[in-house]
Amino acid sequence: MRTSLHNIQQIEDYLLKYAGEADQCLFEARLLLQPTLHDQLLWQQKTYAIIRQYSRRQLKAEIESVHQHLFNETEHITFRRKIMALFRQ
Amino acid sequence: MMQELITEDRAADRKMLFMHLYQQAFPLVAKYVRDKGGSFEEAKDIFQDALVIYYEKLVTSNVELTYSERSYLLGIAKHLWAKKNKEHYNHITLDDSLTGIAMEEPGTTASDKLLNLLHHSGQRCMELLRAFYYDKLPMTKISKLFGFSSERSATVQKYKCLEKVRDLVKEKSLSYEDFLA
Repeated sequence: MRTSLHNIQQIEDYLLKYAGEADQCLFEARLLLQPTLHDQLLWQQKTYAIIRQYSRRQLKAEIESVHQHLFNETEHITFRRKIMALFRQ
Repeated sequence: MMQELITEDRAADRKMLFMHLYQQAFPLVAKYVRDKGGSFEEAKDIFQDALVIYYEKLVTSNVELTYSERSYLLGIAKHLWAKKNKEHYNHITLDDSLTGIAMEEPGTTASDKLLNLLHHSGQRCMELLRAFYYDKLPMTKISKLFGFSSERSATVQKYKCLEKVRDLVKEKSLSYEDFLA
């Protein structure tokens, strides 16, 4: 694996706490000595946040499609009527 | 293609799960929200957020439920409703397992732009990253789902995708000013 990917792996092991205690300490020392590595760590953290946002958005789209199915298909008309009755004025 | 069929099966499994949960628990949640003076749309939003939280709980901790699925979802929905209407917050007793769970605020316009870009131009990578980091699938399964020759090559590809997305996040954060400020 090339060096840049190796760094990504090490950052991941550190951030997601896959590494043992000794490796964690060693990595923290590297972070102090290598500002660029620290910079990469921050971007990687942001990337994980984006992956989570993306995944939630995809999951919500799947859930919305289930909702549309239940509220539009005739086979689920009883279910739909039961819910809508709750909100009738 | 076999690979696509297997991937579609995962989506089909989730669809079945959500269909079941909707039928089991949405009537309860809708009634709760209605009793609190909420609308159908509010009940829908609260319930869908509760499903996301429930799914995340399921994949991260293989939680063994003390209560039924519908009671659990109702509990999450009550928590979300209380959060939405803070004046009622003190009246809700939360199960300890629910503390620490909170939905993120809706994305900013800039991160939405980035998400759209990733959705359209890097979908395969994003789906691979989603399978590992969000759906918490083991690498052996990911390797089969995405058609890699080995677990090792799936792992290397995962890091390549992470690098590609990281570089895009970095690049776009400079042009989308309010992104992840």
